Amino acid sequence: MIDSGDRAGAVFGALSDPTRRALFAAIARQPATTATELAAELPISRQAVLKHLTALAEAGLLDRKRSGREVRYRVTPEPLSDAVSWMAAVGGQWDERLAALERQFTS
Amino acid sequence: MSDWTAPEYADGSERSTSERIERELLLPAPRQQVWEVVTGAGWLADEVELDLAPGGDALFRSRESVKTGWVEDASAPARLAFWWATPDGPPTRVELTLEPAGDAVTRLRVVETRPLDVLDLVGTPLPGIGGRSFGPALVAA
Repeated sequence: MIDSGDRAGAVFGALSDPTRRALFAAIARQPATTATELAAELPISRQAVLKHLTALAEAGLLDRKRSGREVRYRVTPEPLSDAVSWMAAVGGQWDERLAALERQFTS
Repeated sequence: MSDWTAPEYADGSERSTSERIERELLLPAPRQQVWEVVTGAGWLADEVELDLAPGGDALFRSRESVKTGWVEDASAPARLAFWWATPDGPPTRVELTLEPAGDAVTRLRVVETRPLDVLDLVGTPLPGIGGRSFGPALVAA
């Protein structure tokens, strides 16, 4: 069982790389795409594409389905909502802490 | 100043710093006074124990949670960086920066990051602190 905090961390890690973000966006635009098609579209090798796709898939951001000799990729955006909710929760905690700090100076 | 340097990654890539929470607040007090308040209890947690030296222990206790961690850098009255984590959660890094912003006004900047990229660092040992393993690898890198 992966808790949502760890999962959000994995998502951030996977999307912290600009190339991976570009790949993720490209797959979102054209579902069921292959590494070969992505390599043709982006200025990186098929091997580099595969490495990044593995990182994205391990973070739960991609679904892989074998189709003949190729693997087809689709985005699975559910983990992103974990990441977003982590950001919202931690951001909210800081808003409360800063309000408490401000009160120490104004009271 | 600290000797903090950005970690280098095995693939030589640059990592985005967008996965973070950032806040700023102007406080009506000189920087030294703000430093004394921000390093004390009452806002980060009800109870705060900070050993204000690199590698010093940090404890933040509130009614609903306890966070433990360590101090990465304490450069009074300008900068405090520490790592913290709940017993069941991943550690995060908090950096507080204090800058003079006029007569008896201080700008406090808060940045909390989840540097999970630490896992991508190759060959960097993760020394344990109090049975946990996190953080110091970034300083040692």
